[in-house]
Amino acid sequence: MQETKMNTVEAMPDPSRRKFLNTAAFAGLAGAGLSVGLSACNKESAPAAGAPAAAGAPVAAAKAAYNDPHLKPGELDTYYGLWSGGHTGDFRVLGLPSGRELHRVPCFVPDALVGWGHTNESKKIMGTKADGSLRYTVGDTHHTHASYKDGNYDGRYAWINDKINSRIARIRLDYFVCDKITELPNVQGFHGIFPDKRDPVDPAVNYTTRVFCGAEFHIPLPNDGRDVDSPEKYRTLFSCVDAETMEVRWQALIDGNCDLVATSFDGKLAATNQYNTEGGYHYEGMMSAERDACLFFNIARIEQAVKDGKYTTYGTSRVPVVDATRAANTDPKTALVCSVSVPKNPHGVNASPDAKYFICAGKLSPTATVIELSKVLDWFDGKLDDEDKAIVAEVELGLGPLHTAFDGRGNAYTTLFLDSQIVKWNVDAAIKFHSGDKSAQYVVDRLDVHYQPGHINASQSETMFADGKWLCVGCKFSKDRFLPVGPLHAETEQFVDISGEKMVLVADHPVRPEPHDFIIFKRELLQPKQVYDINEFPLAVKDPKEAGVFRDGNKVTVKITSLAPAFEPREFKLQLGDEVTIILTNLDKIEDLTHGFAIPKYNVNFIVNPQETASVTFIADKPGVFWCYCTHFCHALHLEMRSRMIVEA
Amino acid sequence: MNPFSALRSATMGALLAVATLLGSPPSFAQTAYEAPLPAQINTDPDLCAHVACTEVLPTASSFSHRMGKPTYVEGYRDDAGQRKLVGYVFLSTDIVDIPAYSGKPVITLIGMDTDGIITGTKILRHSEPILLLGIPESVLTKFVNQYLGKFVGDKIEIGKARNEEGYIGLDAITGATVTVIAQNQVVMRSGVAIARQVGILKVEPRPAIRYSAIDERLSWEQLLKDGSVRRLTVKSEQLGMPRTAEPYVDMFFGHLNTPSVGKSILGESGYTSLMSRLKDNEHAIFIISNGYDSFKGSGFVRGGIYDRVQVSQDMDAYTFRDLDYLNLWGVQAPGAPSYKESAIFIIRDPGFAAAYPWSLVFLGNKLDRNTGHRDFVSFDSEYWVPAKYMEGGRPKVVKPDAPWVRVWKMRTVEIVLFSILLVGVAAVYAMRDRLTRLSTRKNKWPVDGFKYAAWLISIFFVGFYLLAQPSITQVLTWFHALLFQWKWELFLTDPFIFLFWIFIIVTVFLWGRGLFCGWLCPFGSLSELLYKVGAKLGLKRFQFMLPMKWHNRLKWVKYFVFFGLLAVSMLSMGLAEKLAEVEPFKTTFLVGLFSRSWPYTLFAAGLLGLSIFTERPFCKYLCPLGAALAMPSTFRWFGLKRKQECDSCKACAVGCGSLAIDDKGRIDHRECMLCLDCMVMYTDEHACPPLAQERKRRTKAGLALTPIGADGYYIPIKPVAAATPKA
Repeated sequence: MQETKMNTVEAMPDPSRRKFLNTAAFAGLAGAGLSVGLSACNKESAPAAGAPAAAGAPVAAAKAAYNDPHLKPGELDTYYGLWSGGHTGDFRVLGLPSGRELHRVPCFVPDALVGWGHTNESKKIMGTKADGSLRYTVGDTHHTHASYKDGNYDGRYAWINDKINSRIARIRLDYFVCDKITELPNVQGFHGIFPDKRDPVDPAVNYTTRVFCGAEFHIPLPNDGRDVDSPEKYRTLFSCVDAETMEVRWQALIDGNCDLVATSFDGKLAATNQYNTEGGYHYEGMMSAERDACLFFNIARIEQAVKDGKYTTYGTSRVPVVDATRAANTDPKTALVCSVSVPKNPHGVNASPDAKYFICAGKLSPTATVIELSKVLDWFDGKLDDEDKAIVAEVELGLGPLHTAFDGRGNAYTTLFLDSQIVKWNVDAAIKFHSGDKSAQYVVDRLDVHYQPGHINASQSETMFADGKWLCVGCKFSKDRFLPVGPLHAETEQFVDISGEKMVLVADHPVRPEPHDFIIFKRELLQPKQVYDINEFPLAVKDPKEAGVFRDGNKVTVKITSLAPAFEPREFKLQLGDEVTIILTNLDKIEDLTHGFAIPKYNVNFIVNPQETASVTFIADKPGVFWCYCTHFCHALHLEMRSRMIVEA
Repeated sequence: MNPFSALRSATMGALLAVATLLGSPPSFAQTAYEAPLPAQINTDPDLCAHVACTEVLPTASSFSHRMGKPTYVEGYRDDAGQRKLVGYVFLSTDIVDIPAYSGKPVITLIGMDTDGIITGTKILRHSEPILLLGIPESVLTKFVNQYLGKFVGDKIEIGKARNEEGYIGLDAITGATVTVIAQNQVVMRSGVAIARQVGILKVEPRPAIRYSAIDERLSWEQLLKDGSVRRLTVKSEQLGMPRTAEPYVDMFFGHLNTPSVGKSILGESGYTSLMSRLKDNEHAIFIISNGYDSFKGSGFVRGGIYDRVQVSQDMDAYTFRDLDYLNLWGVQAPGAPSYKESAIFIIRDPGFAAAYPWSLVFLGNKLDRNTGHRDFVSFDSEYWVPAKYMEGGRPKVVKPDAPWVRVWKMRTVEIVLFSILLVGVAAVYAMRDRLTRLSTRKNKWPVDGFKYAAWLISIFFVGFYLLAQPSITQVLTWFHALLFQWKWELFLTDPFIFLFWIFIIVTVFLWGRGLFCGWLCPFGSLSELLYKVGAKLGLKRFQFMLPMKWHNRLKWVKYFVFFGLLAVSMLSMGLAEKLAEVEPFKTTFLVGLFSRSWPYTLFAAGLLGLSIFTERPFCKYLCPLGAALAMPSTFRWFGLKRKQECDSCKACAVGCGSLAIDDKGRIDHRECMLCLDCMVMYTDEHACPPLAQERKRRTKAGLALTPIGADGYYIPIKPVAAATPKA
């Protein structure tokens, strides 16, 4: 079976543009035929699977029943999954292996449930215009990655990008809330994102202090109306954001663009794959070159350059920008960047858990390129005469390779978008194959998925503790996999047991479009807090006795407390035209006892979790009685939990 | 349940129903539900200006301002112009922050006297929705009233009392467990805090645990073996439910801070992660459980308190809130059983001393499906970090003795004296022959001296001082214990009664009931002493005895009384105990003649008064205890002596105060008080008619008066020569 696949790989047509489109169409057709293969696959996972284990695969592995992802009532998931939400603009939390969605954390776009984008606190984080309205109300989240310590997640933060408005949001993993959003200056199409894993210089800093951000789209610098008709002058920047302050530390001007980002476990290197080294502004131009690149950044050298004042700034931004273009970095010994070539519009760059390799998938090339990091460092040291000698393997996997995950046992799992498959391949075998040992069987297994997989990730795959238990693949098309609900389809997140030799597809989950990247890690790595600390809120109304109406001219502050089943005060009077700020503190201490606060006709609703404080500001422009009521079920007297807002004409 | 209170609640219920039907808006003015309290209540130094402190400390007439930390006020009585401290009043929310079901505390005012006895509790305000929606508030008031008269230093818990372990039980409120568990904590913790502060309870400083250098990874089997993990199993039948194959809950638990235990259970990283979440002095325990029910229940969902498990250590109980719960992700120790439920609970109270023994307590409940009534029963299992994991091993702990051991230790002197008395009386009686020979009808002092001494000691020392008056209720209790469950602890708790009964049982079978009844029964002694004193005081001419005909009829009454009580006790022990008031013992000795209501006093005084004029009327005709002892007396080993002439002589029958000698001269040992009068006569050559006759004959015949033999006759004169055979 492996042989045939290898052969088809050999026979693959020249990936020119026309052929590519043909192949894509063909792949779509093939999808229908694959359902036959699917039922066969399902049968294989049934107990009768022992028979086809002739190909030398261990009998025990073939016989072993797959791990059941389904949990009994009351049973808890063993892994957390942090998910991007695509252009819903949110950040999601899943329990795995069950695939149950546990939470959505609003960050870039307003959320009606919690009042994100309605409360003053969330607006401050999101950013407002001069009139107080939100600067942006759309977002497109693609990549989320969490903070590291000693090569594993430390449960402090996760970061997520907004591709539309070039924003990066930080999620506190103790409360699962967004606490900071930073807009990157002078970039568009902010796509890849990855935190560093330790400091390149200071060994004591064995945890994340930076987050790297790649920008896809070329724009004039600064983008203030100049050079709009000179696309050749458009440029992209690679950005470094401080993990704590969320300020942009520095940016690097590069040739070509950025796509996804990866960082090395030693903290020395960050890399981005580049699909548009050409600087094309139409897709034909973007795919004209046969090889694009994976661009490695030497973090220590860049920061030294910033320290030495070797930078410029663009427009109103004060962020130092170093020159990391090829022209300015001809001497490897002082170069800030190292560009390793990768075939044709690569997608995805992923760090292997053994800390040795970065793997770029070819996308328009059926290959994956394995780059050995020590050799990149050798190049920076002047010990390697050619960047491309860092490539230790470049092997064919199938059509449309995109992203790669790892199991910690030396195997990589790469999604084949066009083939609607996952290919499991052995990295060492691929290196052997590449170095000339044509007998090396690097493809271990293939699994049909449904359909057109994009991102893939495995449990703990992006840490040094990849455990090879579960793998999830985000399929961009669901087609016939779920009950039809009209033209808009859910996407399919498929769950795969990778603990054995062969991959076993164990579950389909529909997800609201459209998640991109995600990470999966052990539940014990997080220590979420059960309730808020009231002292974290400067405006907290800590005692019902402090509640009441406080007037300063036509500016009125209404301090309210909630303690099931009552708000305090139970009624408050305003004058027509008042500028009203309502501050609400939930004094309940019981875990899960959240209250809501809605004001009819005033378009107000938000929630306060136990010991949380939130506020809203509005103009009392409608006279009358308005029953403010609790929207979040709290108590046997939930319906009775109200306060009367009286606006006197 | 008191029938009157039942009636009252029924009436209240009816009134409420009528009020609701009339459509009147519900008024909470009379209840503590969300009762508005003056704002100063929490801050004003003069607490009692805002709340009715006298209601919880009725003996006080004035109160101090708030003092101490946590705060309390002192209550004073006006004692001839002097202020005298009589107790303390404190507001629960000043001392503890324990939210109840509603998430808000039940604000309770508590009064305590200077001995630490709770004198009153008053709920000022609560927010318990359950008491608004389904259960009348009066049940909460009734619940807290159970604390009245209880010592704050006692172990008081919800559920059935566990006397042997020294736990006092409180009746819970069905459907409001979270409320009562929280409220028990509120009352006990506040009480203990203040009692410690004012010195009623001693605070033993308990140094914090210091772990030894041993850091090992143990298998589950090893953890169990060295006590690092303990088990608490509760079976269905222990909760009064039908036996089931699977237990109700089957929990394993252990102390996670101890490095070897924590790392063996959680693994290295799990242990480090958990410890990083704990503050100093916080301790984590884990529980894994099987069984068909849950140790978590659902009480914690709204109220935030786990109402089925807690940790207790001495007088302190530590409950867990939802915020004290962490997930236990798994047990690393090889060989660990699978489990259905698990938890890590954090004990945050700095009072918890991990180096000392503590117990995991499970509060089980039994639901009667017909009535919906719940019974709460506590079970616990002790845990003590193994010595090897503590630097210097386990600290010395003076374990409180079982209550009965404490009593025996506390009253050793009295117990020795009392035992001497019992052995002495038995020894005296064993030597009765020598004493009766020393006595004559005219001078019985060799016997009576001992007997009167025994009476006086019995009345004043045994009766009034030791309160050790045996009673028929003990016989009834034995019967029940024999039939149902024999518990030595039950009987050992009163050492005097216990010893007394050993004495009674032994002497009844040796000599008959008379030695106890006639010599040592405090009431009997008092009764006959009054008769003797009455005679000496010149009332002799009014003293009488019932004619034998009536005596022989009336003496059976006491047997009816005894069997009647026994029969009633089979139906209701409580009623039998009430009816046992036919014994005036409680009134005479245990409570005091003048401390009871008049019918009791009149009854006891009447019996004692009657005793002046006729000998032991109660003992002869009414005493059920006497009846109970009389029956086995039939089988006594050593009876009193009789001689052939006794069946016709009747001389001693005339002087028998007990009317125990019938017209055939036989002694009825069921009635005999062993006064030994007849035995004195038995060897009195001047009093015993057959002896007197022989004496006269010998004197006339000039024969020698040989000594009187054991058979009550002169030793026959047999010439020595005649005894020598000739041939």
